[in-house]
Amino acid sequence: MPEIKLKLKKQPDFPLEADVISPDNLAGKSTAEIKNLELYVANEKTTIGEFFSVSGKSGDAKELKIIIDGNLSKVKRIGEKMTDGEIIINGNVGMHVGNQMSGGKILVNGNADDWAGAMLKGGELEITGDAGNYVGAAYRGFWKGMGNGVIRVKGKVGHEALTWADGSVVAKRFPTLYCGSAGSFLGMHGHGATIVVEGDVDRCAGADQVKGTIVIKGKVSRLLPSYKKIGEVKEIDLFNGEKITGKFIEYSGDHSVKKNHNVIDKKTNKVKISVNGRLYIAA
Amino acid sequence: MVEKKINTVYDVVCPFCGTLCDDLEVDVNIKENLVVEVRNACQIGTKKFFSSNPSPHRYEKPLIKDNGTFKEVSWDEAIDIAADILAKSKRPLLYGFASTECEAQSKGVELAETLGGILDNTASVCHGPTLLAEQDVGVPTSTLGEYKNRADLIIFWGSNPVHAHPRHLGRYSQFVRGYFRKDGRNDRFIIVVDPRNTHTAQIADLHIQVNPNEDYELMNGIRAMLRGVELDAKMISGIPIEKIKELIKILKECKYGVIFFGMGLTQSLAHHRNIDTAICLTRELNDYTKFLITPMRGHYNITGANTVFTWNTGYGYSIDFSRGYPRYNPGEFSSVDLLMRDEIDASLIVASDPASNFPAASVKNLFKHPLISVEPHHTPTSENADIILPAAFAGIECEGTAYRMDHVPIRLRKVKDAPGECLTDREILEKLILKVKEKLGE
Amino acid sequence: MSLENLILLTGRTINQGVALEGGKTTKENVRAAGICAIDKDDFKKLDSIVGTPVKITTDFGEVVVYSTISEEGPHPGIIFIPMGPWANQLVNPDSQSCGTPTYKGMKAKLEIIQTGKVLDALELIKTLKEA
Repeated sequence: MPEIKLKLKKQPDFPLEADVISPDNLAGKSTAEIKNLELYVANEKTTIGEFFSVSGKSGDAKELKIIIDGNLSKVKRIGEKMTDGEIIINGNVGMHVGNQMSGGKILVNGNADDWAGAMLKGGELEITGDAGNYVGAAYRGFWKGMGNGVIRVKGKVGHEALTWADGSVVAKRFPTLYCGSAGSFLGMHGHGATIVVEGDVDRCAGADQVKGTIVIKGKVSRLLPSYKKIGEVKEIDLFNGEKITGKFIEYSGDHSVKKNHNVIDKKTNKVKISVNGRLYIAA
Repeated sequence: MVEKKINTVYDVVCPFCGTLCDDLEVDVNIKENLVVEVRNACQIGTKKFFSSNPSPHRYEKPLIKDNGTFKEVSWDEAIDIAADILAKSKRPLLYGFASTECEAQSKGVELAETLGGILDNTASVCHGPTLLAEQDVGVPTSTLGEYKNRADLIIFWGSNPVHAHPRHLGRYSQFVRGYFRKDGRNDRFIIVVDPRNTHTAQIADLHIQVNPNEDYELMNGIRAMLRGVELDAKMISGIPIEKIKELIKILKECKYGVIFFGMGLTQSLAHHRNIDTAICLTRELNDYTKFLITPMRGHYNITGANTVFTWNTGYGYSIDFSRGYPRYNPGEFSSVDLLMRDEIDASLIVASDPASNFPAASVKNLFKHPLISVEPHHTPTSENADIILPAAFAGIECEGTAYRMDHVPIRLRKVKDAPGECLTDREILEKLILKVKEKLGE
Repeated sequence: MSLENLILLTGRTINQGVALEGGKTTKENVRAAGICAIDKDDFKKLDSIVGTPVKITTDFGEVVVYSTISEEGPHPGIIFIPMGPWANQLVNPDSQSCGTPTYKGMKAKLEIIQTGKVLDALELIKTLKEA
């Protein structure tokens, strides 16, 4: 199996932009060629060889495994737009890891900074430590964020994870986040996200959610007033076919969103509001 | 004939806040080049005109710090040293631009692009979240004249215009008589939402005393109730549900409503999410009546800075040129976050005072690196700078264009000459661009 | 005497606006922005006179300012410091990655101090340069 090993030789003075490090770009290249690939630090161009020692043998992107060692907390954009293969990062990693990837797998054995897995279109991103703000979120001004794929974070995710998620049951796209705990505004403006949180969540989970499922196995510091209690449930079906068992209180929402439908009940002549978003909080 | 001593300039535009009052009258002593009287302006605007007179607080010559004290140098020398610092730096931060005219701002963009640096304006610490929310959900807005003539419901949410925009109430929103609001104040209903009973709230018809940092929940609740949803909660953000119902009735029944919002929403927790939901609320209120929303911009030309940066680069603030093309991401390239992570190596501050206005922890990192200040006044930033380039006051000592808070461009007037060797911001930036290009070999 | 579990708000006041245009390094600026407006009832609990220096502490820093009674009350549990170098010693620099720091709504503690001086803007900012 082809494998490339990169080891950070020295810490950059300024953030190092390493969007070139992905199986797609390193596939089929010799170590000398890889060393010459361009990176950016501040307003200067540099090369992979300048900052990393490179070893191993490259091959087809599909089977290529890139292993990166060192404290990469100042290295941004690793695995940007990757489509296949695997990246294993041993250490903390900087912003935008795996942003817009559509296939393959990234494993971070450490913490990740902001925008990890932003606008993911497929594939899998696993972080064993904590992640920063905007995990799997849409970039500024985009109305369609994470479209598919899975993000797993063992620890805490920051604020506004998975905003503007864009899932579809018909098209079988299930943007999914599993995390230990979460900051505020989890899954804001969600359109079909699946979020499972093992622990506690800060205020305003599911703000402006049109449809989607948020399961919180801990507590929410402040529940939004626009969520309405439906009742207790013992089993939850997720979009991707998984089932979660346990005692949960089911809420529907976000009732403030206009995109949810107001229907007038013909019998009672009262406004009936159908809302597809669901929030489950452990009872 | 008696020689004329005092010249009165009419219809002067006040370069202080985003209201950009354009009816000032300024008397200038021509012989001594002094402002002697300002009429129609608010307290702050008046003070600004007077403070442009030569005083111990004004810089008149370029200064360079030498062993802890400033020494006077020639313009050529100051520009040369400043350009040297900028050309050698790898990640310079160009910050400020809100209190200068549009021509200087576009020169700032050119300099940032030449240097491959980071360009930011003061929106980054005030109404940046407004821009983020506008990019996410759009904005239904109008000009202030429209509000003056038509609005019968005015909401100030997290904004205190009595203190921050003193003439806004008199010119556009509260007391002024409009074409369809002939009786002025009596024809308008004023609502203030604020955790404190501010002076604006004291002259309003209704004050909603919301808990600090809980605005989002309140607006979220209002939006749901507006659609006819019966909520589970009895109290939202410290406001009883009955009072919110009353409020919603007022919102629905007005003829033309407008929400003015300020720092109370953008600088408290939830930041741009507050604005996001406020815009959605405004949009949804249009199902019942006419409703619009406008941010109360602080600096007189911060709207101009956002506009000029946008038509030059595509983005309003927090722009990074390090890869040769503009990229935008507040939080990554915004000044305070950059400083907190200590990611810059030099800074050029144009017409701004980050040392006073940034959180202390970030100011520490600002002072670690060479600092060039383009500034007419003694400020905590300029006093700690390495190079001070004395500037003329835009709008008082030079002409230019500024954008009012509702995106109406207004031509600033010149009422007197700048003292000493002061140059305009535009001239200083032009000189810097030429010198930097020369040093970079372009 | 001290008050705990307060919420600190910051913002523009007209006096602060006038003072900053008139010269940020002046004593006028200290009088305008180096102050803390306290709710009337909270102030009674302090058992002191207006103008007594108080030390405000938040999770992010501390600063000594003059105490005053708020004209914009009642707002029990809330203290207000006009925007400027004094307030900025106390504010939360975290922007939640949106660029704008959290200038309002920090938990704060207020105590009357026996010794200590309200620094002027330059002295205050200089402490940041030396640190």
